[in-house]
Amino acid sequence: MSEYVLELEGITKEFPGVKALDNVHFKLKSGEIHALMGENGAGKSTFIKVITGVHSATSGEIYLNGEQVVFHNPKDAHKMGIAAIYQHVTNYPDLNITENIFLGHEKINKWTRRIKWKEMHAEAKALLESLGSDLDPKTEMGSLSVAKQQIVEIAKALSSNAKIIIMDEPTAALTHRESEELYKITEALRDEGVAIIFISHRFEDMYRLADCVTVLRDSQYIGTWDVDQISNEDLIVAMVGREIKQLFPEKSNELKEEVLRLEGLGQMGRFKDISLSLRKGEILGITGLVGAGRSELCQALFGIEPYDEGKVYFEGKKREIKTPADAIHLGIGYLPEDRQEQSLILQWEISQNISLSALDKISKNGWLHLQKERQLAKELAEKVDVKTKSIFNPASSLSGGNQQKVSVAKLLTTDLKVLIFDEPTKGVDIGAKSAIYQIIVDLAASGYGIIMISSEMPEVIGLSDRIAVMCEGRITKFFDKGQATQEAILEAAMSKKVTKSKVG
Amino acid sequence: MNTRIISNTKVFSWKHFFLQWEWMLVGLLVIIFMMNSSISPYFLNYTGISDATMTFLDKAFIVFPMVMIMIMREIDISVGSTVALSSVVMASLYNAGVPMIAAMGACLLVGALCGFFNGYLLVKYRTLSAVIVTLSTMILYRGIAYMILEDQSAGGFPTWFSFLGWGYVGPVPFILILFIIFAIGAVLLLQKTTFGRRVYAIGSNPVASRYSGIKVDRMKLIVFTLAGLMAAITAIFLTSRMGSTRPNVANMYELDVIAMVALGGISTAGGKGKMLGAILAVFVIGYLQYGLGLINIPAQVLLIVIGVLLIASVTVTNLRGKGKFQKKKSRKSVQKAS
Amino acid sequence: MTEKNLLKHINLANISKFREFGLLGFIVLLAIVFQILNPAFLTFGNLADLTKNTAILSILALGMMLVLITRGIDLSIGATLALSGMIAALTVREFPGLSPLLAILIGIVVGVICGVVLGFLVSKVGILPIIASLGLMNAYRGLTYWISGREWVSAYQMPASFKDIATSSILGINTLVFIAIMIFLFFYYFVNNTITGRQIYALGSNPDSAKISGINSHKVYMLVYTMMGGLSGLAGVLWVSKFASAQGNTASGYELTVIAACILGGVSINGGIGKVTGVLLGAVLLGVLDNGLPLIDVSPFWQMGIEGAIILIAVLFNTIVKQTVEKSHRLRRVI
Repeated sequence: MSEYVLELEGITKEFPGVKALDNVHFKLKSGEIHALMGENGAGKSTFIKVITGVHSATSGEIYLNGEQVVFHNPKDAHKMGIAAIYQHVTNYPDLNITENIFLGHEKINKWTRRIKWKEMHAEAKALLESLGSDLDPKTEMGSLSVAKQQIVEIAKALSSNAKIIIMDEPTAALTHRESEELYKITEALRDEGVAIIFISHRFEDMYRLADCVTVLRDSQYIGTWDVDQISNEDLIVAMVGREIKQLFPEKSNELKEEVLRLEGLGQMGRFKDISLSLRKGEILGITGLVGAGRSELCQALFGIEPYDEGKVYFEGKKREIKTPADAIHLGIGYLPEDRQEQSLILQWEISQNISLSALDKISKNGWLHLQKERQLAKELAEKVDVKTKSIFNPASSLSGGNQQKVSVAKLLTTDLKVLIFDEPTKGVDIGAKSAIYQIIVDLAASGYGIIMISSEMPEVIGLSDRIAVMCEGRITKFFDKGQATQEAILEAAMSKKVTKSKVG
Repeated sequence: MNTRIISNTKVFSWKHFFLQWEWMLVGLLVIIFMMNSSISPYFLNYTGISDATMTFLDKAFIVFPMVMIMIMREIDISVGSTVALSSVVMASLYNAGVPMIAAMGACLLVGALCGFFNGYLLVKYRTLSAVIVTLSTMILYRGIAYMILEDQSAGGFPTWFSFLGWGYVGPVPFILILFIIFAIGAVLLLQKTTFGRRVYAIGSNPVASRYSGIKVDRMKLIVFTLAGLMAAITAIFLTSRMGSTRPNVANMYELDVIAMVALGGISTAGGKGKMLGAILAVFVIGYLQYGLGLINIPAQVLLIVIGVLLIASVTVTNLRGKGKFQKKKSRKSVQKAS
Repeated sequence: MTEKNLLKHINLANISKFREFGLLGFIVLLAIVFQILNPAFLTFGNLADLTKNTAILSILALGMMLVLITRGIDLSIGATLALSGMIAALTVREFPGLSPLLAILIGIVVGVICGVVLGFLVSKVGILPIIASLGLMNAYRGLTYWISGREWVSAYQMPASFKDIATSSILGINTLVFIAIMIFLFFYYFVNNTITGRQIYALGSNPDSAKISGINSHKVYMLVYTMMGGLSGLAGVLWVSKFASAQGNTASGYELTVIAACILGGVSINGGIGKVTGVLLGAVLLGVLDNGLPLIDVSPFWQMGIEGAIILIAVLFNTIVKQTVEKSHRLRRVI
């Protein structure tokens, strides 16, 4: 019998054209909280999916209690006592808590096949109580807050006698107090001998909870340390692993007059009291943890879901933004986070994608002028250097990075003055990343005011003239170029206090 | 610094040209003509064929907006009821002493209002689906028609009114001329204008369309209002041909119209299909019905034919869509690997 | 406005209860109004008539509820009802000695076949339920006309034993009502106390998660459409027996009334939500309207319009309540 409940040896997972995991090792003891850390795209999610049987590894072995196992599907892993709680909770909002907990392993009477509701409710109640929750198991799942839904998910994992529980960014959408409750539950589970893999972006989570930490970077295994043996700096180096400066092009253009100013912008339950200004030629980085309200702020600014308090001044004049069309008309463009869902029409030609937000430009009195469209598409596709042979290829034929370039090209079709980039390099490989950075810097140099939202701190530090850090819907701190360090940003991203003087 | 040259000249491909769904419909139309004329010597009789054309063209006007609605991933099953309501309003107003022209104007207005109301509900309450909204108004509109006329019929229109449905301009039926004008307009609107491009964009990816500054809500309002308006035009022609109207006219027109659109190659998953296909499908179904009628196949069997045709064409469109998607996927992975 | 503010404090779970009591209250209120305007309303004869009429509607509405919960819809049930009623009627015309039980069985079998075809088109071929059922509605209706040769099967052509199905009684309860009660009890047990029943809700609540949870969605779709078909078949025989005539246009458009009963009963067309008791109340409400309006001299031609308006209001009410509740959830989060 091995001392480890779970061991993974030399796990490699290849997708067509991409190595998502490259020779990764992992060891988990019972009664241990093991943090798994790494930047976005480091391979954490794929790794989890290998453990839970969603993906099967291309090579490498998995040992459970010292015995080699092979998972063909999620059910196999589930039977072996492995349960996962995902960031986006996967539950049934219309069913009650008990059903959500027991779905797939309901208790039934052997003879009549009748569901034993009383027993299930009682057991659900007991499970929830053991987690320190007084939820009524008959409540509908959809009426619970995310934090409470997560507790139910944990109860669900326990109800199937899981010995290994994987938590994927469980604190992302939680407030501090809710996180604290989750920590307590997690610790209680650990004390009962459950092994826990905890994935989080928050250093706070890790220091508070974990016994040891494993770092992945660029699909590779970097190392495993005991938490008290590794310093914050070393950990960041392990995660980031490269000199930050090199990747980023020099930005040396002059900042010109103010183009956008927000005063006390707020939206019910999403963000509040946001005041900032943006100058032409400036890159303003907005960072913070997932769920801090960054995207919501920018979407409000673009009219997707309008803000309900505060003022927006554009080039000195007070303006109202109610729809994306308003924003574009004013001169604000938005590069959405999810380009496949929110920006591109994948089955359409590149040229049609590029012209989509500028149909008025390629038409006369409403009649499409195809020649003009093709000329425009060609120019812009060449400008952002899309790797393709013809503008008539479908957008789906492009790699992630090149799809992103097409999304950027879309923004350049209209006369915009402010560009909002929401996670511009998410899911983009390293090579294409620096190309996108170059484009962003060039755009700033040509006079655009740019707001860039990013969770990747090196990116924010390396590109921005100024950085605004958000936490739970408010801006907690501004940094000027050169002032910002990863530690200082992280601290601000987790601080509850608003530096009033700076927000103004 | 960018040296890559990207081509912007479109290479014409004969294969691509002939692989279009519309050719299949042309083929079907030819086959129907050949079969019909070999079965019945009366089929190619000019008066017969033009009379037949008149009878199926009235509802075909609704096909134009329905194509746009279905490309936008919506559906409108209240159009039959809208026809009935606007027809009943027109006839009652005329019987109450309103001049025929004004009554026709009211008919168009009522139709447009019905359509607008559908669109308004959809836009105002985003969680509502078009199925449930138009299902409710389908009952409501016909119900109002019954409130107005009860079990009466209304008619006695001026003689010139029957010209709309029965008249000829030279050797060509008036309704056919109007249909062709509308058809050309609809093809151009959907295929050659920014409006049409926006319709396809919304159907292909509604979220990206909104993020690209397309006023999705306004577009929905427009197409649903158009559907109501075209239903009113159908009502005028139908009433003209029948000479009188009742609240139960145009029963199940929505089915015929949806069948024509589906056969025309418009995918119910949205974003795909052409106006021309649906227009060809109007004639395919029309002449098929006429031919079956000629060889004394009872009208009720036609119901079966249309139902089966609808399901078969949706099935084929579904399968076509799946095949294409797989091709693209594999191309994507090849590109990534290289 | 005050109502809106009030709603903010009610959570989703309470609303379904709130709705059922509201519905019940509305029915009682309606009954009182009818009774005041026409004392013939609350008489034994009229109530018996009312329950008989509601029986068939509620049988169909229960089946439709399951279809709607899976985010589907079935517009072909009126035609299925007519087809199975017609086939049963033609059979008893040819073989007058046939046991009425066998006639019912024939109707159910025909309905099941119709439902299987639709289930297959929806689950395996992947056609949208509204399109597939619209197509089949036509096909089944045409088939009904075809096999009957456009003739009616009239009362005198049916043996008394067949017509007795609707008029006889079991344990002192009219057979139609008895069957409806049995089906109601079965559904109550089925959706609340069996795994398959709960899987229907799970699938409608979140189809993507259902896949991960190992729910066989094809099986569930097949099941709900087949059950719907079977119930339509049964209702077909009962209908023909009750009205003592089978026609090509039997129950034409009845699918809309059935869907209306479900919507009034609180079934969500977006799937996942619906209770048997609510659906029953929805059917009763429509039954009361159907029965009461003529009694207070509302023209029969106004009924469709009133029904349409009520459905639309119910649909809008559902949506507004849901939106308000969701908004209040968001407001609760304090920053």
